Amino acid sequence: MTTTMDLLASLIATAQVRLDVDASSKKRVLEKVAEAFAEQGCDAGKLFSALIERERLGSTGLGEGIAIPHARVPGLTEPRIAILRLAQPVDFDAVDNQPVTIVVALLVPEQATETHLEILSELAERLSRPEVREAILSAETPEALRAAFRA
Amino acid sequence: MNVIILGAGQVGSSVAEHLAGEENDITMIDVDASRLAEVANRIEMRTLVGNAASPRLLEQAGARDCDLLVAVTQSDQTNLCASLIAKRLFNVPRSIVRVRAADYTAFQELLGEEAFAVDFAICPEQIVCESIVRLVNHPGVLQLLDFANGAVQLAAVRAERGGKLVGHPIKALRYHLPNVEMRVAAIYRQGVPIIPEGDTVIYPGDELFFLASAGQIPALLRELRPAERRGSRVMIAGGGNIGMRLAKLLERDYRVKLIEYNKQRAQQLAVELTDTLVLAGDATDEHLLDREGIEEVDHFLAVTNDDENNIMGAALAKRLGAKKTLAIINRSAYVDLVQGETIDIAISPALVTIGALLKHVRRGDVAAVHRLRRGAAEAIEIVVHGNAQTSKVVGRRIDQIRWPPGVTVAAIVREETVADEDAASPARKQKRVVMAHHDTVIEEEDHVILFCTQRRRVREVEKLFAVGFGFF
Repeated sequence: MTTTMDLLASLIATAQVRLDVDASSKKRVLEKVAEAFAEQGCDAGKLFSALIERERLGSTGLGEGIAIPHARVPGLTEPRIAILRLAQPVDFDAVDNQPVTIVVALLVPEQATETHLEILSELAERLSRPEVREAILSAETPEALRAAFRA
Repeated sequence: MNVIILGAGQVGSSVAEHLAGEENDITMIDVDASRLAEVANRIEMRTLVGNAASPRLLEQAGARDCDLLVAVTQSDQTNLCASLIAKRLFNVPRSIVRVRAADYTAFQELLGEEAFAVDFAICPEQIVCESIVRLVNHPGVLQLLDFANGAVQLAAVRAERGGKLVGHPIKALRYHLPNVEMRVAAIYRQGVPIIPEGDTVIYPGDELFFLASAGQIPALLRELRPAERRGSRVMIAGGGNIGMRLAKLLERDYRVKLIEYNKQRAQQLAVELTDTLVLAGDATDEHLLDREGIEEVDHFLAVTNDDENNIMGAALAKRLGAKKTLAIINRSAYVDLVQGETIDIAISPALVTIGALLKHVRRGDVAAVHRLRRGAAEAIEIVVHGNAQTSKVVGRRIDQIRWPPGVTVAAIVREETVADEDAASPARKQKRVVMAHHDTVIEEEDHVILFCTQRRRVREVEKLFAVGFGFF
């Protein structure tokens, strides 16, 4: 598990972070997620489709204002994370029907491994702690937001 | 979901009705303010009056936040143009477009990502023609629907005296047809659904919906009705697009006569249809019908673009001795009025189209949706994803799953790998139909065929099959 923790720490350290993103719908949130990843050289159009298709099978809205949209991306060699804090909460079909403010998106290579699942559940675990969510919501800089995950 | 529907006609309003009240925000655009107001009166949604292919109007309708565009205005051009605008300007992830004219659908490359960017094109004419051909091929069946690409079929049949099962309980089927796997999904008795059990006795007039592997439908038909010949003579009233397409589909296997009112059109059809006898005349003229041997006709198909004409023509043909009569009826109120009495089968193009459309509208991986009993019930084929951790159904027995009320699992289509005896050749994949029992365990990638007698419960079915958060 320590390797997963290390991997997650480095993923968060290099994550794209966007504060107070303006988005009026789930669709636009996923567009912004795809745009954030596009800056790291991903094809925004393909990513958007992959995220939309995954959501179609079931929402990644975890409840408590958190969503962790994720997808497998052909051609990707290692996982990537982007973190968006939304300016206004957005309806995300979440399990608790509550709108979402914190979006942590995860891309993984096409080949499935146990590590990917571990990253996903570790992210969910950290975001389930109220103090982590508090720290993310009150972070004033991308650096402060990244630090919230280390709490 | 945010849904924009273009066109307040029968199909547009059916889709709206279907999606309303299911955590969806619906906006409808139509040029006709009064028609729009009429629909909005019944269904909760936002409406905008104007040209549905206007970028500004689409933006106003919320195209930037839109998850699904359903373009079903009267105009193919408007529908195609709107789809293109939605994709290019607003990045709408999914578009469903009704395209009527075969002129467009003949060129699939027009619909692709590089052209009009249509995700799913629906062509009512084609769907209507295909369903009529099936009914002609299976006399006695009111509705015949495909699941799992035709591996399983659902048939609606009205029981009549003379069928072997009529007057007996359903379980007697096991002795009549020991090798046929089938499932009675529902029975409507005088329009009221009753839950089929092994001891349920079948009465004449009962409308049964049953599922069986393709190819077993004829044997089952004989259980419910006196044997019927397939017949060889078809008469088509109306030489429009549907009449012409039908003649083309049927002329190889049947002796087809087609009656067209317009002389010029009749001449044109006579050239185009090499094996069909085209007659210029009025299909509601009893002398003409008489002269052309109506009493010998096995299938009279009234497919003009006029409901009244179709009803009158089919009623007359039936009185004059045609064995089976079928009419296309656009006004849904007429369908119940005439089916089973005046004419044998009424086909509503909107109802036939809506099923094809709905499968693209549902959340989850839905492979087929068919509306039954004029929309009161629905049969759905869902592809199962996830594993025992991420799915609420995978790895569970059917009786361990909490189904919404009114939902029954009819069958499962499962792809199985069959090892060949010759070890050198690779294993083959084969689809197998598993009739559902209480202890059947659902697996990943199964196609589950459900019968849902309460349409309002469909959203709950979607939620049941939705994958959990941990699914990649």
